[in-house]
Amino acid sequence: MARTYQALVCCRAGIGSSMMLEAKCKQVIEEEGLPIKTRHGGIDQLSGFDGDLVITMTDLVDALVADERVPSAVGISNIVDKDEIKQKLQAWLDEHAE
Amino acid sequence: MLSDFLAEELVQLGVEATDWEDAVIKATRPLVEEGKITEGYVEDIILGVKDLGPYIVVAPHVALPHARPESGAIEPAVGVVTLSEPVSFGSVSNDPVRYLFPLSATDNDGHLGALQSLVEILSDDDFFAQLDSAKTPAEVVELVRITEGRL
Repeated sequence: MARTYQALVCCRAGIGSSMMLEAKCKQVIEEEGLPIKTRHGGIDQLSGFDGDLVITMTDLVDALVADERVPSAVGISNIVDKDEIKQKLQAWLDEHAE
Repeated sequence: MLSDFLAEELVQLGVEATDWEDAVIKATRPLVEEGKITEGYVEDIILGVKDLGPYIVVAPHVALPHARPESGAIEPAVGVVTLSEPVSFGSVSNDPVRYLFPLSATDNDGHLGALQSLVEILSDDDFFAQLDSAKTPAEVVELVRITEGRL
């Protein structure tokens, strides 16, 4: 059985935009049947994060990629654009599928 | 429901702002006055953008000013603010910003349903068309309530 990837949907505050982005990601993941499980949190929750990828707003990607606790980051620029979310998650899966 | 956290006092239409910082300060002013957030929360919003970039600009023309709960979120609330002239936040994909939805996000999941509703409303083009033609805060509160019920 193919594995399911663990994603942390992250924003600076951990509350607010990360919850909204997670809600939209969940819709896309469900509709497309993508093997990703999400939870949301703030940047401070990266300590001890042992998942596979971090999903965040585009403007936070550079700061997150520079963080050694982040294995891989996907940046979304428009949280209401399901096509963007779908394309970027699919591209990540294509790149990382084992 | 999002409309549970919205009140006429938190709606401002046609606000004049000189730049993004001015827009954030003016948009959050009623939340401070109504005891939803502290001045420190507003300062943390501005600090966050200066430190990390315009990540509160989450969709084309839309900003959700919010900060870390511990910086001064008192009780959950959302405002709706339109600007008379849009301002730049420095967001490559989503500038200029015309609509601000300042959030008081407290440190629990009690307002999760409201945020899910907000993201659906932001996905709805009809909502913005009607927001543009709204004349009074009362109309905006009613518009949010109706849109939320329809989606």
